[in-house]
Amino acid sequence: MVQLVGSLRKELADSLSACRVLVVGAGGIGCELLKNLVLTGFKNIEVIDLDTIDVSNLNRQFLFQKKHVGKSKAQVAKESVLQFCPTANITAYHDSIMNPEYNVEFFRNFMLVMNALDNRAARNHVNRMCLAADIPLIESGTAGYLGQVTVIKKGLTECYECQPKPTQKTFPGCTIRNTPSEPIHCIVWAKYLFNQLFGEEDADQEVATLENSNTDGDIKRVSTKDWARSTGYDTVKLFNKLFKDDIQYLLTMDKLWKKRKAPLPLDWLEIQKLGKILEVTGTGLKDQQVLGVAGYSQLFSRSVETLRSMLADKGDGAELVWDKDDPPAMDFVTAAANLRMHIFSMNMKSRFDIKSMAGNIIPAIATTNAVIAGLIVLEALKILSGDVEQCRTIFLNKQPNPRKKLLVPCALDPPSANCYVCASKPEVTVKLNVHKTLVLALQDKILKEKFGMVAPDVQIEDGKGTILISSEEGETEANNSKFLSDFGIRHGSRLQVDDFLQDYTLLVNVIHCEDLEKDVEFEVVGDAPDKAPTPPSAQEDKNVANGNKDSAEPSTSSKAPAEQDDVLIVDSDEEEPSSSTMDVRMESGGHKRKLHDAETGEASAKRQRLDQPLAADEEDDDIIALD
Amino acid sequence: SKRTMAVTKASKDQKYDRQLRLWGDHGQEELENAHVCLINSTASGTEILKNLVLPGIGAFTIVDGHTVSGEDVGNNFFLSNNSIGRNRAQAATELLQELNTDVSGNFVEEVCVFNYEHTCLRLGSVLWNANIPFLVCRTYGLVGYMRLVVKEHTVIESHPDNALEDLRLDQPFAELKNHIQSYDLEGMGKKDHSHTPWIIIVAKYLEKWFSEHNFQFPKNYKEKEAFKQLIRQGILKSEKGTPEDEENFEEAIKNVNTALNPTKISSGVDDIFNGEQCNDITSQTPAFWVMTRAVREFVHNDGGGNLPVRGSIPDMIADSEKFINLQNIYREKAMQDASVVSKHVESLLQSVGKVCETLFCKNAAFLRVVRCRSLAEEYSVETVNKDAITSCMDSADGEMVLYLMLRSVDRFYQQHSRYPGVYNYQVEEDISKLKLCVNSLLQEYSLNVNVKDDYIHEFCRYGASEPHTVASFLGGSAAQEAIKIITRQFVPFNNTFIYNAMSQTTATFQL
Repeated sequence: MVQLVGSLRKELADSLSACRVLVVGAGGIGCELLKNLVLTGFKNIEVIDLDTIDVSNLNRQFLFQKKHVGKSKAQVAKESVLQFCPTANITAYHDSIMNPEYNVEFFRNFMLVMNALDNRAARNHVNRMCLAADIPLIESGTAGYLGQVTVIKKGLTECYECQPKPTQKTFPGCTIRNTPSEPIHCIVWAKYLFNQLFGEEDADQEVATLENSNTDGDIKRVSTKDWARSTGYDTVKLFNKLFKDDIQYLLTMDKLWKKRKAPLPLDWLEIQKLGKILEVTGTGLKDQQVLGVAGYSQLFSRSVETLRSMLADKGDGAELVWDKDDPPAMDFVTAAANLRMHIFSMNMKSRFDIKSMAGNIIPAIATTNAVIAGLIVLEALKILSGDVEQCRTIFLNKQPNPRKKLLVPCALDPPSANCYVCASKPEVTVKLNVHKTLVLALQDKILKEKFGMVAPDVQIEDGKGTILISSEEGETEANNSKFLSDFGIRHGSRLQVDDFLQDYTLLVNVIHCEDLEKDVEFEVVGDAPDKAPTPPSAQEDKNVANGNKDSAEPSTSSKAPAEQDDVLIVDSDEEEPSSSTMDVRMESGGHKRKLHDAETGEASAKRQRLDQPLAADEEDDDIIALD
Repeated sequence: SKRTMAVTKASKDQKYDRQLRLWGDHGQEELENAHVCLINSTASGTEILKNLVLPGIGAFTIVDGHTVSGEDVGNNFFLSNNSIGRNRAQAATELLQELNTDVSGNFVEEVCVFNYEHTCLRLGSVLWNANIPFLVCRTYGLVGYMRLVVKEHTVIESHPDNALEDLRLDQPFAELKNHIQSYDLEGMGKKDHSHTPWIIIVAKYLEKWFSEHNFQFPKNYKEKEAFKQLIRQGILKSEKGTPEDEENFEEAIKNVNTALNPTKISSGVDDIFNGEQCNDITSQTPAFWVMTRAVREFVHNDGGGNLPVRGSIPDMIADSEKFINLQNIYREKAMQDASVVSKHVESLLQSVGKVCETLFCKNAAFLRVVRCRSLAEEYSVETVNKDAITSCMDSADGEMVLYLMLRSVDRFYQQHSRYPGVYNYQVEEDISKLKLCVNSLLQEYSLNVNVKDDYIHEFCRYGASEPHTVASFLGGSAAQEAIKIITRQFVPFNNTFIYNAMSQTTATFQL
């Protein structure tokens, strides 16, 4: 038995006070972790978090109080800890860990790195940085009552990316624009609409049905925002365009409605004639009530007016950023999504439920974070005593399982030989159409989004060493709008991709393919989702423990690559036992959602979770809309 | 002031948003009405309270007569250097109170633990008689220990995993029967056919099956497969004769196994119905038992042997109108049943508090009653659970040995008025003294088991220390149990929980 603590063995106690550790994230787990570290004898701690404090953090992030709302999490966490433990030496960074300043040299300053993150992009990045710097990493996550902790050590254990993650659930753009069949489609649409009207416009997030949508032509058109501005954000005009004219236009595409129930346009005036009857169903909190069409049309109008004046106050060219915790923004999405649900014959949903879906809210409580942070420090002590072999991946169950275990520790697995991150010569094969794939899509969608790189450089192995993409600004931008085939890339071509920040080289084998499925731009050959043994429907959101919204990458400031900031359905019945929310969920009327197989014993629990490792249900990752 | 109340409510909704999604606003209300007492503001104690104060427990009271020492400050986040020399209850109350202004914090300066075992037994018996849940929590070196002591804890919302739907397809109630009759699968258009809820499909083909099979239900695997085949034949064919893509039929076939599960009352719920609490209803009977009795009356008199209909159906492929109509059939029946139950409640008693009949009926199939053994039973030589201890000691390194060690260090304390190994210079002699305690414990209870010397050394080395990170774990786990008990949601463990921080393993035992 390893002789730890006692209090601590003298050598260990000395090494704790001497060593320097990095905590990435000062949210739910981060707060607990900082407290545990200083009270265990760690003296030199650096903490980094990009996020600022929100009211909804206060039910668990105990280093923050109401007066701190809006301030930097890392900074306030540091100050609060110092109040209690003035002898600790804490450095706080209000910054993204993906910033190039935090390079491999930076990571080499630490004996140990601990992740307390909530999103996959940052987790992937820190994983690579720790591999490159050869520093042990403790990875952790919580979701509701569930949690997990694991240890990653280069060459000894699996890295964070050894196990393929479940596919992101995607929606074809046309479903969002034309044929929504589930409430989530309408919610995604409403969020896009918000950006189109008030935020940063993104061509991939077009909400309007376009006259030219069936041709590939690039006919010039007035952007939604410009149009809205030209009307002075007239709520009635906006309403009638979005909920009447656009719908009527959709009705003209009669082949869409042969097998589907056709949408019913709404007219502002007619609804107002219905009067001020605010039909309300559902009892309890205001947020959990479902208003009627009249109620939502009024809410739509009020929120548009509020947002318009917020936008005006910010001055010319300003943009609003959608944030689920910003009441007018949330009101807008609630109203617009519900009106669209009504139009497409779906049962409307409460603001509370829409917030869950739109904000990818993962329930989070103090108790789970406390348990997980306790486990992290014990794993840290093993690492610092040189006993990495004793470390475990530990799963926290909701309640003791049939074998009466609340915790399920599993031995760490060795690295996967085929891992495209930690193998000695990482290599992947990608199927795509070289005539239709733009260099920009290769960079953004494949290298950044799919393979988690921050600033890739790409060289074609064509004997000439043609540089396709350079991370230096201004060098290869001209290539962006050209197709891969324009550079001689064809079936069997090989690309050498380097990310200098991550000290990571990946060899990409290109397979040219003409018959990819509709809306699919590329496929990674041998990627888990294609080979997944279970049908995707069976195991959707049953996965565990990752992001609670305790983060270094707040969705409010989402500029990080791969940050789709879109919608995770957190209505796994595991996670939401409250009967009131269940009731509402049941009312979603005639729309398919997944069943859940509840977890059984230890073995299957492990299996299931390993299939869907850590980042399984974090907020930004599960569902994105595709065009 | 109505306005102020509304504002407070809204800001609470925002602050507690992430947890309301777990236990709902009725769970939150229970939490806000609860008052907990913490005896001794040790590191584990304040960690537990922190995790109850943050989610907004109504009030807490700390009872502690100790004066804050430097050691306390070293492992307790809610005591600072400024608190050294002050009363520990007061100092901790002040800092914990800062976490949440919605919570009322109180303290009592009173020493009440001189001898761990003795104190627990005395407190345990007082609280037992008052039926107040008592959670004993302890961090001892790298071991965490919790013991729940409660005579009876009733749970309405047990939140079972994998619960089956309550569809009554084997015994459809009249309204459901009529609703099924209103469908004519053969006569409907393609669009309606592929948007008919699978429940209706299964019900329709069951009727067909009944008529062809002597009114017998498909029972075994073979019959169920044949039944699935029968449904499959119902899928519409295209002009060329190939089956159309009808997802609702696929869904029906997939759900055959669970849908055919016969409606019956589980043995667990049946046991609850047959309990004596259910028979002797008086004006003192807790609401849970009055409700249970009322549901039992319903089962016998109105339900034809079945529980009230739960009233919910799963989400499925269907058009909204058909889905909602079907949903309303179940929902209205559930409401009818609940109102029958409430009539029984009225005739049983004039008033039963504020238990909601609908919630109760909806969860009637999952009612749970947790009955722990008392501490006195656990400690008495006559009633000790020897079997559990001996069988768990089959694995010499399981968590049970840690339980025996905790009992042994308390015995050590009784004899020496201190814990083993608290002074470095005594560690060696304490090892042999502790060994004597282990042996006398095993002897007293006639336990024929072997405790490895390693554990005796280990526990001496702990010197009764309370490492913060272990306290953090225990604080999280214990607060979670407290929340389960307070909200009456989920089933708390029964009755002993041990955490081994070295191996990161846990176990629960019934002692």
